[in-house]
Amino acid sequence: MRIKVEKRLETPKIVYIIIPVASILTSLLFVGVLLLAIGVNPLEAYGVMLSRAFGTKFGFTELFVKTAPIILTGLAVSIPLRAGLWNIGAEGQLYMGAFAASFVALYFYPPIIVLPLMVLFGLLAGMAWASIPGFLKAKFDLNEIISTLLLNYVAIYWVEYLVYGPMRGKEVYNFPYSDLFNDYAILPRFFGTRFHVGVIISFLIAIAIYILITKTSYGFAVKIVGSNPKAAEFAGISRKKIIVSAMLIGGAIAGFAGMMEVSGLHLRLRAAVSPGYGYTGIPVALLARGNPLFVIVAAFLFGLLYVGGSAMQTTFGIPVAIVDVFQALVVLFIIGGDFFTRYSISFGEKGEKR
Amino acid sequence: MRFGGSNLVSSELNSENKTEDNKMENKKILEMKGITKIFPRVVANDKVDFEVNAGEIHGLLGENGAGKTTLMSILYGLYRPDGGEIIFDGGKVEFHSPGDAIKAGIGMVHQHFMLVNKMTALNNILLGYRTPKDPLMDYEWARKRVEKLSKTYGIEVDFDEQVINMSVGEQQRVEILKALFRDVKLLILDEPTSVLTPIETEKLFKALRRMSEEGLTVIFITHKLKEALEVTDRITVLRRGKNVGTLITKDTNEKDLARLMVGREVEIVIEKKKKESGEPVLRIEEIYAKNDRGLPALKGINLTVKRGEILGMAGVSGNGQKELEEVIVGTRKVEKGRLIFNGEDITDYGVGRRVALGISCIPEDRIETGMAPSLTVEENLILRDYVKFTKNGFMDFEIIEKHAEKLIDEFGIKTPSPKVAARTLSGGNIQRLIIARELSRNPVLLVASQPTRGLDIAGIEYVRKRLISFAEEGKAVLLISEDLEEIMQLSDRIAVIYEGKIRGIFDREEADLEKIGILMSGGFLEN
Ligand SMILES: Nc1ncnc2c1ncn2[C@@H]1O[C@H](COP(=O)(O)OP(=O)(O)OP(=O)(O)O)[C@@H](O)[C@H]1O
Ligand SMILES: [Mg+2]
Repeated sequence: MRIKVEKRLETPKIVYIIIPVASILTSLLFVGVLLLAIGVNPLEAYGVMLSRAFGTKFGFTELFVKTAPIILTGLAVSIPLRAGLWNIGAEGQLYMGAFAASFVALYFYPPIIVLPLMVLFGLLAGMAWASIPGFLKAKFDLNEIISTLLLNYVAIYWVEYLVYGPMRGKEVYNFPYSDLFNDYAILPRFFGTRFHVGVIISFLIAIAIYILITKTSYGFAVKIVGSNPKAAEFAGISRKKIIVSAMLIGGAIAGFAGMMEVSGLHLRLRAAVSPGYGYTGIPVALLARGNPLFVIVAAFLFGLLYVGGSAMQTTFGIPVAIVDVFQALVVLFIIGGDFFTRYSISFGEKGEKR
Repeated sequence: MRFGGSNLVSSELNSENKTEDNKMENKKILEMKGITKIFPRVVANDKVDFEVNAGEIHGLLGENGAGKTTLMSILYGLYRPDGGEIIFDGGKVEFHSPGDAIKAGIGMVHQHFMLVNKMTALNNILLGYRTPKDPLMDYEWARKRVEKLSKTYGIEVDFDEQVINMSVGEQQRVEILKALFRDVKLLILDEPTSVLTPIETEKLFKALRRMSEEGLTVIFITHKLKEALEVTDRITVLRRGKNVGTLITKDTNEKDLARLMVGREVEIVIEKKKKESGEPVLRIEEIYAKNDRGLPALKGINLTVKRGEILGMAGVSGNGQKELEEVIVGTRKVEKGRLIFNGEDITDYGVGRRVALGISCIPEDRIETGMAPSLTVEENLILRDYVKFTKNGFMDFEIIEKHAEKLIDEFGIKTPSPKVAARTLSGGNIQRLIIARELSRNPVLLVASQPTRGLDIAGIEYVRKRLISFAEEGKAVLLISEDLEEIMQLSDRIAVIYEGKIRGIFDREEADLEKIGILMSGGFLEN
């Protein structure tokens, strides 16, 4: 028997749905084997995952709380992606947003302006951080994958330095935390859970971005640049402006995610503001093929992984690393699955000559 | 019995030539039976029967979108047919990829070449090939083999030159050698001559005849009836996805072929009235510019395009035409000199501003610069004016669709709907799309590079008429073309470009082909 790989010239639409679903199922299977290996019944584990996320009020709201930042980072990756850019730096942009918002929360006055200023500074800090690779790409054609990735480390260590040093709180013993924010610097919460107003705003942002990139002339220009940069230039669209602006919008959204996490969830600046939401945004954007509405769907999936992961951890004592493995596998299978959207595979002799 | 004038010679050869014998027996090398290919809402091939004899040159003709490229892509394993079977070289075959087709002995040269720019010709030819010393590369062996092929068929290529430095014609020769290197028995050429100069075309035909003499079979797609009549043995005509007839070349003529292709009588009469031209619209003053490789491409161009005229620019491609086009459009930097448009110095204006002033352009590189392949037809039709199709920053999809429907109708763009990706259109229909967009913008100046390249007869007629009426409306056209016939037919004045300089400008009355030919090849006229 022979396996034949052919390049697809036409990809049926259904393939775009089958592949992601199959990728996820395959990774469930693999993780199942891993779970078995450490003596946990995978079906039971997955059951716990689902019942936690959908069975309890706390779990259900927590699903939204975890999904919201992933929606935002998914968008932060998607918009540049539509212009043909890889923003691997949403994580760093998120950290800078968290830092700027915390700075405002801790040191600004009077209370009435603090929350709006936190939003503003969060957006601006994310933007500023994203503008560096954007500018370098536009001006010197420096590879944005490398520059955004490296800037993540700078941002993460910057925040770490702050919470171990200058911004460390007075009443936090030896933890790398800042002081708790005052009430006026905290996003309102509902239902007696951690469900905060930022979640709703995240959904609204996704819808707004959907409108921006599918309905406006700006979105059209971005699409042309992503499809054929030379045609864009021929159409009088400045490729550089689009590159920089797409990065800025992405950075702003990631920066807002950072603000939202400190102000809605942690209520202070701390090391590890995000468990890697910025990186999670990449497979989310890929799964959604850059469409903001699909980003919401894909983000829920990864939100479920986070919520379910911690449930599995507490119930079975599974190391948290398994959740990371799970995520990594999903990403791998999605990227691998992309191969199947471009190539088709067939088995057997019947295709051979004579 | 083949190529026109040399009837006697070739029939004399017949008795000694084995392949000619084959041909007499009409030994079939290829039979495609009942081939059907259905794309969403388009039947590209409709139960096509197509037969090719061993050793013949078989012409494949048909209007834009008739299904020629699709049929050949199926044969080459790029598409899977929805119905029908292929018998090649004595057995039923089913190709899943071009690799399969090549292994079976079928090669194809696409209109858009698939070469690696930064590699030498030799390396491109060897790409993916296993030489006898595999896994080591046996360059010695390969070079000898390629040189032999090159000599046998008279296909000249500098094997150590990088592809990026080659003319289109030379790149095409590399592609052909690449196929021949893999010992193909059947070579498919999809519109090879549309990018060639007349001299290069003649050379290609010589090579094709050599191949045929050596027993190779060639399928040759073209829109130029004269070429088909000159070089082929038999001709098959496709119309709307159906085979409407296979003819023996020597028994047919241009008129019959045209009728078969279009389904009705076609007569191309293009009349151009003599016109007084008016005010200058574009003044090009001492323009210097470099090409992509950073070498001087334009060396002090002076030229004026006037209101109401078509200024034809004759020249062998690669002499600065593309750079001049880009300088006017605004996508190429000017080193020195000025551009004056309607009295306004636009040298430093960006592309967008020039678009707004009314400068249109049908670019030479259609696919690379003219369109965004993954965007829909209607989106591509507003590519350069999308801002005009907005309401308060929002795209007005209703008007965009209406606009598209109007242009699709007016310019005869064959597409199942305005909402399909432009990439799925046939070559000639992509060309129509770009022409429709650029003409419908109602510009003041149109730069048209090879505007009829790749179009079928009706399309050529239509575009030429549009250009003339466009000029008659008092607008200006700069027509850049390698097709001297087209230049002579349409132009009020003719400028000849050679090595980045204008070597002469003639009024239509005083221009003759001989003078232009001398200047185009770098010669001088005696006064
Ligand atoms: N990948 C595709 N997806 C959808 N439709 C396609 C695709 N390729 C071709 N078509 C359609 O099939 C028809 C035939 O196209 P084809 O490219 O074979 O024409 P052609 O005879 O080569 O024309 P031309 O002379 O313009 O090159 C066209 O109407 C085209 O729109
Ligand atoms: Mg074609």
